[in-house]
Amino acid sequence: MNLRPRLTGETLALAVLVLFLVLLPSLATAFFVNFVMTQTLILGLAAATIVFLAKYGGMTSLAQLLMFGVAGFMFGNAALEGGARGLNLGWHPWAAVGFAIVVTTLAAFVLGAIASRTTGIYFLMLTLVYGVIGYFVFAQIVEISGPGGITSIQRPDLLGPPVRLYYAGLLLSVLAYVGFRAIRRTAFGLALQGVRDDPVRMASLGFNVPLHRALAFTLAGFVAGLAGLLNVWWNGQIDPASISIGPTLILLIIAVIGGISSLGGAWLGAFVYVLVFTYLRDLPLVDRIGITEARFNTVIGVIVLAIMVLSPEGLTGIIQRLRGRLRRRAATEPAPSDGRSLPVHTTQKELGGTRS
Amino acid sequence: MSRLKRRTALALSVTAGLALVAAGCGGDGDSTGLPADEQSPAGAGSPSGAGDGIRLGILGQCEGPFGGFHEDVVAGTTLALARFAGATPNSTTSALEGFSGAEVAGTPIELVGIGCGDDTADRIVQEVRRLVEQLGANVIIGPLSGDEGIAIAEYAKANPELTVFAGISGSQEQTLQVQAPNYFRFYGDGAIWSAGLGDLLHNQEGWDTVAVIADDYSFGHTSAAGFVADFCAVGGEVTHRVFPPLGTTDYSSYIAQLPNPDEVDGYFWAVGGTGTQAALEAFVNGKGDLTGDQHAGNLFFNPDLAQALGTDIAGAYVGGFATLPADVRTPEIEEYLAAADETWETIPGSLSGNEPAPPSVAAAFGFFYGYYTAGVALVESLEAVGGDISDLDAFHEVIAGLALDLPYGDIGLDENRSGVVDVGLSRLVLDESGEVVQETVAIVPGVDQTFGGTFSPDTPSPGRDFPACEERELPWVGNAIPVVDGVPQS
Repeated sequence: MNLRPRLTGETLALAVLVLFLVLLPSLATAFFVNFVMTQTLILGLAAATIVFLAKYGGMTSLAQLLMFGVAGFMFGNAALEGGARGLNLGWHPWAAVGFAIVVTTLAAFVLGAIASRTTGIYFLMLTLVYGVIGYFVFAQIVEISGPGGITSIQRPDLLGPPVRLYYAGLLLSVLAYVGFRAIRRTAFGLALQGVRDDPVRMASLGFNVPLHRALAFTLAGFVAGLAGLLNVWWNGQIDPASISIGPTLILLIIAVIGGISSLGGAWLGAFVYVLVFTYLRDLPLVDRIGITEARFNTVIGVIVLAIMVLSPEGLTGIIQRLRGRLRRRAATEPAPSDGRSLPVHTTQKELGGTRS
Repeated sequence: MSRLKRRTALALSVTAGLALVAAGCGGDGDSTGLPADEQSPAGAGSPSGAGDGIRLGILGQCEGPFGGFHEDVVAGTTLALARFAGATPNSTTSALEGFSGAEVAGTPIELVGIGCGDDTADRIVQEVRRLVEQLGANVIIGPLSGDEGIAIAEYAKANPELTVFAGISGSQEQTLQVQAPNYFRFYGDGAIWSAGLGDLLHNQEGWDTVAVIADDYSFGHTSAAGFVADFCAVGGEVTHRVFPPLGTTDYSSYIAQLPNPDEVDGYFWAVGGTGTQAALEAFVNGKGDLTGDQHAGNLFFNPDLAQALGTDIAGAYVGGFATLPADVRTPEIEEYLAAADETWETIPGSLSGNEPAPPSVAAAFGFFYGYYTAGVALVESLEAVGGDISDLDAFHEVIAGLALDLPYGDIGLDENRSGVVDVGLSRLVLDESGEVVQETVAIVPGVDQTFGGTFSPDTPSPGRDFPACEERELPWVGNAIPVVDGVPQS
């Protein structure tokens, strides 16, 4: 029964947040919902796959944006009919969705299987190579990418109004969050965490270490593919530059801003990133100190640097620390003369990162 | 524990379900929820409200290969509004500070924002959405670059309440293929700017075979396509087509794919931005010295190349752009350049290395001028409808029928709302002091983007293999007006 506070605390907060997000379209402007929040949910969903792999599998992947892009390109090729770009297969939109997801998941399995014997920095480098090769595949094989990108991509009718796309993003985000958290308690999830912590021991216990890694990568690829579909519906187009090295690193940076050991941090990081890109220039006098549109990446870089120095667990780490401090203060309230509370360490052992 | 987790999952699933229900309800109750309907640009957060004024957004590029032209393009539109709509720039040394006081036929023109692209379609779509959906722009001027133009034309098509005057984006598809009824381009495209060059090189210079090297993106493809169509139409043969990716720094592997100078009569280059010089240097390293007579290029060939490549580049022919080289000076051009110098003290444009320079330096180049023509088109169309844009279809019809009398030649639109323009061909030559300068050699009048049927809405987009090299009738072959010492000999 002593777990009840956890249920009423964290879970309730989450449920309230989701409820708030559900009601958001009637509270906020159309631009905030359809642009800022929809983009946040899409990028957050994609970044959550990086966090999932890092947190439970100990694998920091730079290939998630590629999966995101593969799904977008495949949908564009399958769904468009006529026009000068792509394969123009002209399928029913939902058939195209199925095709895009199947291709993305298969690609993720193959790439995951190849990468499954590497760990740490080697895994990071290998997935970076995937990202670069993927970019050039789409840039060079213009039959499947344009030429110059696939444009005029329409949403399925069900998602016609932009607000529905927002809700689709919210639904998939909630499902991914719950799903990823649920997986860690399953046999597969426990084995995956074992593989993360001590692959040699897991192998000697009879677990197929590469298979676990490959399957985790496949699952992450599947979810990143869903985010990629939302993205092409939201953006209406995709081109090779959409999955070049710059955006690939941005996705990792989003995960780092939020906290690469926290699933919820992926969406938080995406929110901060989108806010900076959308609203920073509207702050009064901000251009007077040299922060113009051309320097947004510098601002993002400074934020990342500050977070790396102040809180390696990202913004969620800062929030947790503040909560811990408040809790301690509440606990020591009877003796206010106690003054400053000691720093609270909520170190998380699950941090994957570049563990090898 | 697991039961609690299940309850957690259940609670969240129920909430997610609620989200779906709400989405459904929201959709039903708000069946006008399409982007076009949800965002009433003139109303959204508009201080002047009512929707009867022009809320202008300008799309430039502050990053990427053309980031240096950000100041130029905004200045172009500002100059048009300063000359013909009474606008006053907020700064005498920069156009990016905006302007005030613009009004046509009683309708105020307010600058709501300047979008900052980085030469990618993704970014420009996000920038235009910010201008339209957040800041409430109802007229957009821009964008600057090829792929961006296609993306913005698509956006315009999906948002019929918007009016877009393209900036200087030179891809063919944005008008020929996309055909958005509210997207207007008062200048040529990359193919148009290559028109007449093939005729000149084949019939006058005696080139029979040529190798083409162009950037591997829509503007490079379009530029190469125009040249190929033109050169082949008069009987020439394109032996090689090489397409290095945009942003390549080491061109040696692409140069290796080109034939040697003794195997072809010449080369056509449509490699832009910082790549022009790098590619030509790689050519010198890989194939031996340049002989200008054996080269031709699109607008990116300019006298500045001589600084790095030496005067051997003299002799090369250069395709057209929106403006004409400095040797052609008509009273209209003089007046236009003087107006630019009166509007600001200095403008840190790209041609002066983003250092303060007389505004006429920037105004004489196509990037500035393209945005200027868009601004003039906006003013003239507003005058034609008496400042009343409540009937958008009528407003768009008026724009489509405009014939602009502009300093560098008259411009009208074809049925796809793309400019029919005069193209000025030029050559890099040595002046008396031994400096390489650009000299106009011919003006090809009335070039449209179909190239006598080579390109149409039903043909593929210009690409690595399209168009094929075929002889055909082109309407302007033989009609080029020679220019001697800057004076057209018509």
